[in-house]
Amino acid sequence: MSKSHFTRTEKRMIALSGALALAVGIAPIGQAMHIMEGYLPAAYCIGWGILCVPFLIAGLLSIQKTLRERRNLITLLAMSGAFIFVISSLKIPSVSGSCSHMTGTGLGAILFGPTAVSILGLIVLLFQALLLAHGGLTTLGANTFSMAIAGPFVSFGVYSLCKKCNVSKKVSVFLAAALGDLFTYCITAGQLALAHHADTTILGAFGKFLLVFAPTQLPLAIIEGLVTVLIVMGLESYAAPELRAIGYLREAE
Amino acid sequence: MIVIDKLCYQSKLRYENAGEKFAFAVLTLLICVVSRSIAVAGIVLAVTGTLTVAKGGVPVLRYLKFLTIPLAFLFLSTAAILFHISRTPMDLFAIPLGGWYLTTSMSSLHYAVQLILTALSAVSCLYFLSFTTPMTDILEVLRRLHCPKLLIELMLLIYRFIFVLLDTASAITTSQHCRLGNRDYKTALKSFGLLGSALMLRAVTRSNRLYTAMEARCYDDTIRVLSENHPPKKSVIAAIVLFDSALIALAIWSKYLI
Repeated sequence: MSKSHFTRTEKRMIALSGALALAVGIAPIGQAMHIMEGYLPAAYCIGWGILCVPFLIAGLLSIQKTLRERRNLITLLAMSGAFIFVISSLKIPSVSGSCSHMTGTGLGAILFGPTAVSILGLIVLLFQALLLAHGGLTTLGANTFSMAIAGPFVSFGVYSLCKKCNVSKKVSVFLAAALGDLFTYCITAGQLALAHHADTTILGAFGKFLLVFAPTQLPLAIIEGLVTVLIVMGLESYAAPELRAIGYLREAE
Repeated sequence: MIVIDKLCYQSKLRYENAGEKFAFAVLTLLICVVSRSIAVAGIVLAVTGTLTVAKGGVPVLRYLKFLTIPLAFLFLSTAAILFHISRTPMDLFAIPLGGWYLTTSMSSLHYAVQLILTALSAVSCLYFLSFTTPMTDILEVLRRLHCPKLLIELMLLIYRFIFVLLDTASAITTSQHCRLGNRDYKTALKSFGLLGSALMLRAVTRSNRLYTAMEARCYDDTIRVLSENHPPKKSVIAAIVLFDSALIALAIWSKYLI
């Protein structure tokens, strides 16, 4: 490219990036980390799907076992799934004025445990794809892995670890939800980088995806952590018997 | 409250056989994703769009507005694919930034265009399914495909509860607005936390009451619902088979013979 072209292309680039920024600013950022329908090549869709299967089978078996002992928990389980869906479809207050949503998976993992959340998360993601047009059918496997398996497991792990180390409840809930969110975001960036790294290395592509989504995802993780703390604190003060029913206060028994 | 759900019950294609619609949407979606061909994507976008809008009776503007939902994700991640930051400029253009270049190659551009079109056409397939087929019909199809019984039952219950909880949530939000619950950022956050915990509380009590009601009506581990039966039409099946095999042929032709 000759040097004289720089100014003209530069101008074009500025216009383009301006338009892009405008479009992104106006478009609801929403649940930007759901990989959209058709964005992953077929091989990756199948691969991530297969990776989910063992977790889902474990989840299904654990739910079946619980239900065999106490059949009445089925409505509670379904209500929990609907709760995750609804809480993630509500707009949370955000500083920038864009509308963002929480993922709800950290909260789910803390309340219901990671195995149950894998199944509930799968169903919620399917409903989000079909009813809200967030995510998609072919990317269901990848989204399930990042949002319903990886994120909740990290949340739950962090939460258990904090409890062992006698960290205060508020801090541990905050850390669990925020770190689970961040981990989901990293996994999704990794999934995108693995699938699309035409002209760079996988690591380079991973960095680019992380960078591009950072402005929406980093504040979201913090807000999600705060909101989760508020919800859990509210539940503990008003709903101790109900929490015992879902096994959250299991350790207290 | 959920717009897509409302629209699909009003769709003119609602009483077509659900299996047909499901097969059409999923097969076409798979062809789009596997082939990743620009020609196939264009045709699919046009056909499913026309079917949803003209045959299904979804308002055009609404449909277009729904197509913009995934745009935020599309823009951001395609920007990450399109632009490179490297020490050497590439063939399409390069903007110097200190010792580095913000640059794009011709092949990246082609890749990005292909990706955008594939993704949009895939979304249009998904929209065809969700704008014409109510969730209960989709669950019926999944049941025929031998999806685990527990999963189907959970999905049925969750689908029902979503609306119950959304109702509750919107009532709580309204009353929080009335009481100046969103007057500044700190209050808004606190209100959202209260909303979440109140919602969970309601969900648990409601689920207990619902189980009692189900027991009173002889619930024995399966929820039986009458499904309306709309037999598949031979002409429609033939059309779907014809269209999808033509698409496959086009995909193979554009991939290996051009």
